[in-house]
Amino acid sequence: MIPLGLPEPTAPALTTQAPDLDYWLLSPLLVVFAVGVVGVLVEAFVDRRHRRLTQLVLALAGVGAAFVLTLLQVGSLPEQGAGVGVAFATVAVDRPTLFFQGTILVLAFISLLLIAENRDGESAFAAQAAAVPGSEEERAHVLAGSQHTEVYPLVMFAVLGMQLFPASNDFLTMFIALEVMSLPLYLLCGLARRRRLFSQEAAVKYFLLGAFSSAFFLFGIAMVYGYAGSVHFADVYAAVGAGGAGVIEDGEPLLLIGMALIGVGLLFKVGAVPFHNWKPDVYQGAPTPITALMASCTLVAAFGALLRVFYVAFGASVWEWRPMLWVVAILTMVLAAVIAVTQRDIKRLLAYSSVVHAGFVLTAVVAASADGLAGAMFYLAAYGFTTIGAFAVVTLVRAPEGGAEAGDLAQWAGLARTSPFLAGALGLFLLAFAGIPLTSGFIGKFAVFEAAVAAGATPLVVVGVLSSAVTAFFYVRIIVLMFFAEPAETAPRVLRPGGLTGTVIGVGIAATVLLGVFPGPVLDNLLPQPSAEAAVGTQPSGAGIVPEDMFVR
Amino acid sequence: MVWLLTAHFAAAALAPLLVRWWGRNAFLALALVPAATTGWALAQALGVVAGTPVGVRIPWAPEYHLTLAFRMDTLSLVMTLIAAGIGTLILVYCARYFTDDEPGLGRFAGVLTGFAGAMVGLVLADDLIQLYVYWELTTVFSYLLIGHYTERRDSRRAAALAINVTTLGGLAMLVGLIMLGEAAGTYLISELLADPPGGPLTTVALALVLVGALSKSAILPFSLWLPSAMQAPTPVSGYLHAAAMVKAGVYLVARLTPGFGDLAVWQYTTLAFGTVTMVAAGWKALRQNDLKLLLAYGTVSQLGFLTAVLGAGTRDAALAGLAMLCAHAVFKAPLFLVVGIIDHSTGTRDLRELSGLRRSMPAVFWTSVLALASMAGLPPMAGFAAKEAVFGAFEHSGSPVLLVALVGLVVGSVFTVGYSLRFLWGAFFDKPDVPPTPVHPPAPLFVAPALLLGLLGLVGGPASSLLDPVLAAYADTVPWNAGNDPAHLALWHGFNLPLLLSALCLAGGLALFRWRTAVAWAGARFALPDAAAVYRRIVYYIVSFATQVTGATQRGSLPIYLGTILVTLVAASALPIIQGRLWTLEAPPVRWWDTPVQFIPAAVIVAAALWALMARGRLFAVVLAGMTGYGTATLFALQGAPDLALTQFLVETVSLVVFVLVLRRLPPRFSTPVLRTRRVLNLLIGAATGLLVASMAYFALAGRRAETISGGYPAAAEEAGGHNIISVLLVDVRAWDTMGEISVLASVAAGVASLLFVRRRTRRLRAPAVPGRLSVPVSSATGSAQTDGEWSPLPLGVAENIVTVRAEAKPLWLPGVLALSQERRSIIFEVVARLLFPVILVLSVFLLVTGHSSVGGGFAGGIVAGLGLMVRYLAGGRHELYLTLGLQPGVLIGLGMTITTGTALAGAVFGTEILAGGAYDLHLPFMEPVHLTSALAFDFGVYMLVVGLIQDILYSLGSGIDEQMERERQAGRAPQSEEVTA
Repeated sequence: MIPLGLPEPTAPALTTQAPDLDYWLLSPLLVVFAVGVVGVLVEAFVDRRHRRLTQLVLALAGVGAAFVLTLLQVGSLPEQGAGVGVAFATVAVDRPTLFFQGTILVLAFISLLLIAENRDGESAFAAQAAAVPGSEEERAHVLAGSQHTEVYPLVMFAVLGMQLFPASNDFLTMFIALEVMSLPLYLLCGLARRRRLFSQEAAVKYFLLGAFSSAFFLFGIAMVYGYAGSVHFADVYAAVGAGGAGVIEDGEPLLLIGMALIGVGLLFKVGAVPFHNWKPDVYQGAPTPITALMASCTLVAAFGALLRVFYVAFGASVWEWRPMLWVVAILTMVLAAVIAVTQRDIKRLLAYSSVVHAGFVLTAVVAASADGLAGAMFYLAAYGFTTIGAFAVVTLVRAPEGGAEAGDLAQWAGLARTSPFLAGALGLFLLAFAGIPLTSGFIGKFAVFEAAVAAGATPLVVVGVLSSAVTAFFYVRIIVLMFFAEPAETAPRVLRPGGLTGTVIGVGIAATVLLGVFPGPVLDNLLPQPSAEAAVGTQPSGAGIVPEDMFVR
Repeated sequence: MVWLLTAHFAAAALAPLLVRWWGRNAFLALALVPAATTGWALAQALGVVAGTPVGVRIPWAPEYHLTLAFRMDTLSLVMTLIAAGIGTLILVYCARYFTDDEPGLGRFAGVLTGFAGAMVGLVLADDLIQLYVYWELTTVFSYLLIGHYTERRDSRRAAALAINVTTLGGLAMLVGLIMLGEAAGTYLISELLADPPGGPLTTVALALVLVGALSKSAILPFSLWLPSAMQAPTPVSGYLHAAAMVKAGVYLVARLTPGFGDLAVWQYTTLAFGTVTMVAAGWKALRQNDLKLLLAYGTVSQLGFLTAVLGAGTRDAALAGLAMLCAHAVFKAPLFLVVGIIDHSTGTRDLRELSGLRRSMPAVFWTSVLALASMAGLPPMAGFAAKEAVFGAFEHSGSPVLLVALVGLVVGSVFTVGYSLRFLWGAFFDKPDVPPTPVHPPAPLFVAPALLLGLLGLVGGPASSLLDPVLAAYADTVPWNAGNDPAHLALWHGFNLPLLLSALCLAGGLALFRWRTAVAWAGARFALPDAAAVYRRIVYYIVSFATQVTGATQRGSLPIYLGTILVTLVAASALPIIQGRLWTLEAPPVRWWDTPVQFIPAAVIVAAALWALMARGRLFAVVLAGMTGYGTATLFALQGAPDLALTQFLVETVSLVVFVLVLRRLPPRFSTPVLRTRRVLNLLIGAATGLLVASMAYFALAGRRAETISGGYPAAAEEAGGHNIISVLLVDVRAWDTMGEISVLASVAAGVASLLFVRRRTRRLRAPAVPGRLSVPVSSATGSAQTDGEWSPLPLGVAENIVTVRAEAKPLWLPGVLALSQERRSIIFEVVARLLFPVILVLSVFLLVTGHSSVGGGFAGGIVAGLGLMVRYLAGGRHELYLTLGLQPGVLIGLGMTITTGTALAGAVFGTEILAGGAYDLHLPFMEPVHLTSALAFDFGVYMLVVGLIQDILYSLGSGIDEQMERERQAGRAPQSEEVTA
């Protein structure tokens, strides 16, 4: 209980007036939150038989409504400036926020479809998470067809955190968003129906490592506060620009340490090397629909926050953080690509691929320019759709016995002969991951690389391209395996995609192709318009200051 | 223009359907699309050559300066004619090459048509990124084409090899293109070339672009993929490796030379790699026995030739290079087609097995003669005119570099003549010890495309002076010509050095052919390392390196993961600390101690913490951890914070007991013995992190510049009517926080029980727990009855297997112990527990009531009461626990929550706002007036809740686990006894 340093030495001033909040601009958050709370009540009061349907309808309606509200807000942003700060400017509503929130909501909607998929009364989640794996009790629950419908409110809370994460405009709000987002995910990771011990181990690892990284994040906040005398991004920016807030003389090291620690917290969520270790284990252990949710929505949210922190709060000290991100980006791209080569499990492979992609997005972050922001935003959206689609395919290919997913790639051999559509879909997704033209992956890669080159980070781009080549190598290997290789002796059982999973894969394909062929509408409308400054002439990257007009301050 | 491309892709999409309807004849219909493209290009030709390029621009993604820009100038025109024209012929050829029942023919037809479209798009694109798009499309399509025979392992490997190499190059090129685009400020090729950027970045960009171009055109060191791609069906080889895909790289060189041909990086790279490739691959072609492989190496050699000439950067070289490009397309494609015909008609491509085809297939023979003559550069073929022009251009330039290159090109040309002769001899002539190969004659339509192309080569020579203005329209865009007058294409330039060189080539080639056995031997003897083997080795090294890295970093071990993060953290923060000399930061001096007594608990804490690291037993480790807690509590007490100390002591005690209860179910020792080195390493990492975090905590506190608000606390406490600041803070000043915290506590209590035991709590006690009544499961009761003679239950009711008895019948210190077996009972403990319990309760209530003004509070009081419960449980077992309070933990927790929230709401109802306080002095006889505040009620709620929580923990972790163990013991015993009776 460390008292915060307040300016007046006397008793704390009491606030007698309720804060004035702009409920309209907060409405997407509030809707999702309300649905989460109602979901908890549903668990308590609705009959067990109707719970799943009630929860699903609620969740989909909530996310859908939140998305519509987010879209409507695009129109209500002020003409001048990037956006507005809400609730004492702790929440920023500007174009990047709305884009990230919209993306998260759409991706969450799709993930919810995947989460809701039931086969023969079996969901992807444990019948009873508290029963000891393999015990009589568990068997009884499986036979009784129990389901954890608590998953839906948990997902809603996680989505709430994800919405808030890229929108938070000060470090404390961001920390709360981080926790709101992470805690439900820790739990959801441990709920896999099969290989439950594995899943629980993944959840524990994720939780422990996540707790550490959150703690570092918090320490970092304290350091930055010590330097800037505020946790508000705009104040931190001003303090950095002015060379300190006069709180502590020569406090530069505090800022740097703070930056490093906050960086650790954010890069952990993003899954950049060397904070990536949890990703393969957790992606593999978690129920696949949750993995899809994490691989898409969490990544978008985490990068949204990362961009805001480094572009707004630390926007005036690009020279300080750029070397750090350079190193991290290079390590991420190279190491993850190299390790991915040896993977034999499809989910682990996708996890490493997600790490590599995080590295690519980091190259855009390093650019510290409007192009970098736009490139990262497009990349994340494009990658999100593709990766959900890929995980949806994974849920359909099951081991010949027992109904667990066939993770081992050897079992995927010759899949195209038995299920050409499915193999084709996965093939398309892999090509998009590899960045082959006419898929969304190419436009994304082009966008981030262009931004990085423009900012003088050419070596980074060269490294990125080399690791792209390595990743292309193993994507191609999977395609070869599926299309050309002889089928494995123990051929996997391929489930017919149900309506929900089918929709997910369909949306994934549509988005991957449409964003690849007609990226124009998205690029033109949802990203910040090229600013007046950019129109006059691209700002030299040597200034060490991120352009100011992209975000609300 | 866009429509033509769309038509290609539409035809590609329709192709499978057409093939299903019409079989192989569908290729004839598909050929109409490239034929139409050829016709369109010819129609535009006059205008284009006259200097008005055809173009169209459609915005694609303006944000990223992406444009769908097409532009047909002379170079594009020539390339379009080659790609579409030869594409037409190849599709016609396919209609006879395949049989109707060829597996996967529909897909093949679609992909081939799509490839033709991508190729046309590539040569027409006027935007760097769009060019890259088509570039990669050709890569993907060619991958599918090469891998057509999916059942062949070699075919799959070759396809993967081709896509890996070309994708690598393509990606490098993408970077180069982006850099070029960024440097020039435009991605339009025409604008880029009109005003080419300069500087070191451009040099790097061009080098990267060249990596792409060279890998696509199979120049060394990327040439390995082309020979293995010969696994593809022959029409594919003929198209991809003569006219189309490999030409993409050469095309890119030709396209950019007008802008960058004068840069050293461009000129020298193309010249060096081109020339070396020409010589090395030609040398290798001389010893091939497979006709197709011979052509493949020949193609690599010729591509080197083209690259060197087109990249040379002079106007004359550009002219000669473009002429050579056309000639090459016209002579190499028919040769591949001929090989396909021979393969088809005889069933072999091995020149050692072929004999006498000269007579049995005359049309094919003469076609080959035409094409080979052009390849060898014999007059009056197109190849001769082009080669003369090349020699002339290099000779005139006067540049030493070009002259050196000329030597290489001549050597390469000698080899070209040599392997041309080898092809002719090997495919068609009689061999003394080989019987004439049986042949089934090819259909006319099968031979026609090859023958047509062969004749084109024948016409091309004499017509070269007519073509000169067309090709010169491109060549003139290359500004530099070494001060020479522009040269012209012609069949006859008079007696000069180029003619001499041509003659030399011919003579050398004849000599090579004459001593072909010796040459083949020497070639095998002094072979370059096999590129495919090098590639395999590289892949092997990557995989094994990856395996090692994976093994080192990704073990699934949490300590390693965490260690990685911590080490990074320490390193990342150590840098600014050391660089910024953090210790020089203005901070109050470190105060090491207030009183020396503090050293004792501090030493205990440190010793216990270190010892805990070494402890192997779980219980011991817990005790040691507890010691650090007690030490901290002592420090609090010494610091003058009795409240904190008291609470910490109590909490430590409770957690210790809870730990012990849980540890019953775990193995007594930590499982895997950890390596000593690993432990020492972990110790170091932990110490470093601890040091970092501690110093940060110090600086965070020392960094305070503003006045602390704790100065206002006494006044605030006074205002709230209390003297104990901590307690007032908890229940008054920060009552909202406390509300939140106890809500969390309540949900934790609910969570603990429901997570550990998946049942509803009420099911555990089916019979209602009435004070003085004992509900005992029958089996357990009878079990204990055997050991306890005094047990004489009075059954009150039997519900399933539970007997409820009235225990007052025989007063005991602790009634619940009846259910315990004799050896677990301790009469002293029972007596002490019974006597202590009221005292503990009184103490807890005392703490609760006095909390507002002196040490204590609801939380501490609750824990004390909970400890009382704990003692009774430990002494009397779980049934004693059930009997003690007679209230379910849920009821207590609920009551606690109700009271606190009720108090809070009462503040709103009776006072000004939620949690508003009130006070009342109660005057009782014989006692000091009791100062009652609303905060006391609030605190009472906290008290109830904490008691409920501890009771809940004891229920689940204590008696719950007891029950579980009992059940297991019974379940474990039952089968044993059965065994005995059996």
